[in-house]
Amino acid sequence: MSAEGQDASNQQGKGEEGEGLRWEAASQAAIQVIRNRSGQGQLAAEEEILEELLALGLLEEDAANLSASLAEILSTASHTHDDLRTIPNQEGNKRYYSLQFMTETYARLLLQREGDPLQLIAEIVRENSALYPRPFPLGAFERTPFTMTREEIQRCLDQMSCHQAYQDIARTITSAGNVFLYSTLHLDPDYAATLAEWTDVGQHDNP
Amino acid sequence: MGSFGGWAGRVLRVDLSAGRIWAEDTIERYKDYLGGTGIGYKVLWDEVPADTHPYDPTNKIVFGTGPLAGTGAPCNGRTAITTLWPTCWPKPLVASGHMGGHFAAELKYAGYDALVIEGKADSPVWLSIEDQQVEIHDARGIWGQGIRRATIEISQMLGSEAVVAAIGQAGENLVPMSVVMNSVSHSAGGIGSVMGSKNLKAIGVRGTGSLRIAGAKEEWERVVKLHLSMLGANNQHVVPDSPQPWAEYYDPGSRWKASPGRKWGAAAPAIDTGTCDPHNFNRIAYRTNNAAFYLGDVAWKYTVRGNGCTGCPIRCHTLIKVPSAAAKYGIPEMGQNTCGGLNFGRSFFRTFPDGPKGEISVEASMVGMHLADDLGLWCNYSQLQRDFQKLYYDGTIRTKVGADEFKRYSWNQYEKGDPAFLFELLPRIATKEDELGTALGLGSGYLLERWSISEEEWKRDFGLQYWKLGHPKHHANEDAGQCGVIINTQYNRDPQCHSHPNFTRNGLPIAVQKRIAAEVWGSPDAVDAVKAFTPMNPGKARMAKWALLRKELHDSLSLCNWMGPWVASPLKERGYKGDDSIESLLYGLVTGDRKSREELDLTAERIFLLHRALTIRGMGTGQMRVRHDTVPEWVFADPEGKAAFTKGTNRMDRDDIAKAMDLFYQEMGWDKVSGAPTRAAYQRVGLAHVAQELAEKGLLPG
Repeated sequence: MSAEGQDASNQQGKGEEGEGLRWEAASQAAIQVIRNRSGQGQLAAEEEILEELLALGLLEEDAANLSASLAEILSTASHTHDDLRTIPNQEGNKRYYSLQFMTETYARLLLQREGDPLQLIAEIVRENSALYPRPFPLGAFERTPFTMTREEIQRCLDQMSCHQAYQDIARTITSAGNVFLYSTLHLDPDYAATLAEWTDVGQHDNP
Repeated sequence: MGSFGGWAGRVLRVDLSAGRIWAEDTIERYKDYLGGTGIGYKVLWDEVPADTHPYDPTNKIVFGTGPLAGTGAPCNGRTAITTLWPTCWPKPLVASGHMGGHFAAELKYAGYDALVIEGKADSPVWLSIEDQQVEIHDARGIWGQGIRRATIEISQMLGSEAVVAAIGQAGENLVPMSVVMNSVSHSAGGIGSVMGSKNLKAIGVRGTGSLRIAGAKEEWERVVKLHLSMLGANNQHVVPDSPQPWAEYYDPGSRWKASPGRKWGAAAPAIDTGTCDPHNFNRIAYRTNNAAFYLGDVAWKYTVRGNGCTGCPIRCHTLIKVPSAAAKYGIPEMGQNTCGGLNFGRSFFRTFPDGPKGEISVEASMVGMHLADDLGLWCNYSQLQRDFQKLYYDGTIRTKVGADEFKRYSWNQYEKGDPAFLFELLPRIATKEDELGTALGLGSGYLLERWSISEEEWKRDFGLQYWKLGHPKHHANEDAGQCGVIINTQYNRDPQCHSHPNFTRNGLPIAVQKRIAAEVWGSPDAVDAVKAFTPMNPGKARMAKWALLRKELHDSLSLCNWMGPWVASPLKERGYKGDDSIESLLYGLVTGDRKSREELDLTAERIFLLHRALTIRGMGTGQMRVRHDTVPEWVFADPEGKAAFTKGTNRMDRDDIAKAMDLFYQEMGWDKVSGAPTRAAYQRVGLAHVAQELAEKGLLPG
């Protein structure tokens, strides 16, 4: 190879090396964004990650195929770091989170919270009824991470009562006057009532 | 004492009749019984005749700590106090009460594993223990004072580092429903009047010594960290009560109350409890808020912080500050306690003007804590309050106390839920004033006898939760079904066993619980979902045996059975499993006496069998199955008539419980017909001499 050829090759090598380093830095930055967001109890959207990479100068705004580059960075990061997970939202857009800081349960809940509140209530109630099993206290939707107002919750319940998709969501009231929701797909009314009474009153009277 | 670590090495003995103080070697006499209830049962077996009355000077009180007390082992603050139980009806039998706080550690640092008190002083005294210097002091100056005053006065004499365990007026007046209490909120029920009968007002302890850990420092630290990693919140609830980023599971009924936005509102500045990732040991103390758990969300604004016992990061004694209650009722604005204490005052009432978890309920809690924890009254796991409500609302009190006495109470205010009513009632119980005060202070069994009420009526009543021998159930069929029933048959008071509910209530999905149960008790069917019980099986019998042995083990090591055992954990990476060998790991490292889990369980079984032998000797019968291990009628009923083994009921089936007892006796190696341990069972745990004594009295089966 001629000297001229060697120079060109070196420059190309240095260029590839530089690009590789920048690629690696971009990947690390993306991972950091995802983990930081998870640590704050939030999912990371692709737009947020892209914004961070652009701000750090690790991607250029006028790059030919910005979204393809980002997708490749995130794909590589996900394959090389076991803690990274994706979950699609209702529009099919990926949301990222890190298992180091967030469980799939919570990630799913965050997506549900982003979407239709009726579906959020229904899915939480169904999951509790099927998994533990137990009815779910209505008042819990007022607290974190749901933080719905009492009026919002009531509006949702009113709408759900008329909606065919939510006819399995039923309610029971404990002797302390608190409302619990359950899914008739998983709990029969009588059992749900006694479980709600246990959670709300019984276990406090049997400490 | 050889080269063992953990134990202080000596047991302090005090004869108040003779004014004699001496010590004996712990290892020589008690090592095979560990400490705590183990030492207590041993002393009572060897030294207290069967028919002794609890108030007889020859009865002994054993304040027992274990080899883990005062070490860095988590949850090591328990003192087990064993004696003949004055509320055990119709005949007092052996039992133990348990107090947390710092008494156990301080006693160890003073150089003693246990304190055994016998005799009766001629006049009121208190006992000071300052390392080797042990003295009996005149207590006439503090006799008649409440627990707080006595604690303060003795603390002023011994210094602020001292721990004081005192009785109130209830104990002095020989009210059986009385406590001894250390550090003004850590009580052991049933003991107060036994101390009062000995004219012993208080014990003040100050220790400046230290304990040796036999194992290597690095290994000790590793095991302590392992233990810390497996802790949940109070009662080993291993999931939070709301969804949190780190948590795969949650349970709205959990005592793990911390979450972002929930603040200790009376701290200055207010502290957000936040997300408490289980890997962060520095956040363990933020998880539990028992005031919020029992009193409702209203309690957050009154919460100052969590308080608790030596070596325990859980802090289940929630400290609350309620200036409005102080101003309204003339009581201290601060109060602190856990379940029974927080509920003491409010449990007397059926209703409050603003509902069960409103401001008035908090006031009732504050007034109740103020009075009960100063007068030294015991609730007997709230049986006092359940009895009171039943006897008032069914008209019995009106008929039994006489018209003039009845008029002295503001019943109208009581029915409205006015906490001021407690000022009328509780001091009268503590001073045995008139008929009502005297009767309520006796405990259920003797109260029923005094008022000619059949115990069977109490055993049928679903709401009273009465079990037998003057005492209620405590985590019975509502927790682990047949396993809970078996456990409630075994003791002479409520069993104080939390091994089983600390698993069944841990908040994990039933499928996860069953997976862990399969590993620990050999069958996923050892546990059932809440109120969905299935018929008895051998797994449940193994769980019952395990639960009882863990209880005695904890009570003898000074570990807290209100927090453990730790067979489940909050850790996803462990599949939510804990480590059932943590007790033996800690014990071996502290003492240098390396024992496997199975070997240490055998020691626990020895202790449990000694309790059984004491009960048999005390009752004078070996027919335990029919005379002692009884189950009240209400267990076989359901308020709505639901059949056993249908969803939504705790109702048990009579034949199935008979099978449960068969399987349990079989698991223990006892005689199934009589329910008494066989000679072989005693021999297997090194109690051949106990078997021999029982055989000579005709109390051994076969």
